Amino acid sequence: MAPLEHYLILSAVLFSLGVVGVVVRRNAIVVILCIELMMNGANLAFVAYGRYLDSMAGQMIVFFVMAVAAAEAAIGLAIVVLIYRNHESTDLDEINLLKL
Amino acid sequence: MASSLFFYFLAVVTTVGAIAVVAFPSPLYSVLALILTFLGLAGLYLSLHAQFVAIVQVIIYASAIMMLFLFVVMLINLGREEKRELRLPGQKMLGAIAGLALFSVLLKIFLSTSLMTGKKGSFPTERVDELGNTQVIGHLLLTDYVLPFQAMGVLLFVGIVGAVVLARRRSR
Repeated sequence: MAPLEHYLILSAVLFSLGVVGVVVRRNAIVVILCIELMMNGANLAFVAYGRYLDSMAGQMIVFFVMAVAAAEAAIGLAIVVLIYRNHESTDLDEINLLKL
Repeated sequence: MASSLFFYFLAVVTTVGAIAVVAFPSPLYSVLALILTFLGLAGLYLSLHAQFVAIVQVIIYASAIMMLFLFVVMLINLGREEKRELRLPGQKMLGAIAGLALFSVLLKIFLSTSLMTGKKGSFPTERVDELGNTQVIGHLLLTDYVLPFQAMGVLLFVGIVGAVVLARRRSR
């Protein structure tokens, strides 16, 4: 059984990679993918803490996070499709309609 | 020992998948790499005795949500990101530095001892395994967590309606 710290380090790695992806990538779909990656990093920390602190709360919260992620993916992709329909592009650098 | 090796194998698979998501220029390959990451995470949940979460991870995350992404990627036929000048010079470098800074902060928080010595809950692994993981989750979902469960239903409903309203073609 690997110690709790190793799970937490892996979770921090996943979350940080997700943040790097959100900052670095310009494609809207890849940015949403990286947000999913961040959520999964957090999920791993929840389950690992729940396991080592003898609690089910971690697994319950992961279940709810998955529902939020599903709704977020559906809405986010609908918005991406809309933007593509209007702009012929999903490049976030080119989407600046609200910018003065 | 074997379960420890299992962890390190899955940790490598998950990390490689995550790096590939960020690094692949084509969104299609990013989606496929994320599926690899999610499958690795499902294995990690299994090694943490969270069987229900592991299966839900495979069914919902690695299949349903990723299929949605694949559909959209193929629908709007994205090529690779064109190599052109970034609006912010040095954006990749700054992003990597920000990621490293965040990683060190997270490590500092996670490895501080105060989080490890929390009060123990009433569900040790042996008891949960004896009762059955899914059974315990189902029981908790309809007793202690019934309000978030209902809220989740409302959220998913709003998500469905919102996606349909947003993505339908406006008739002129």
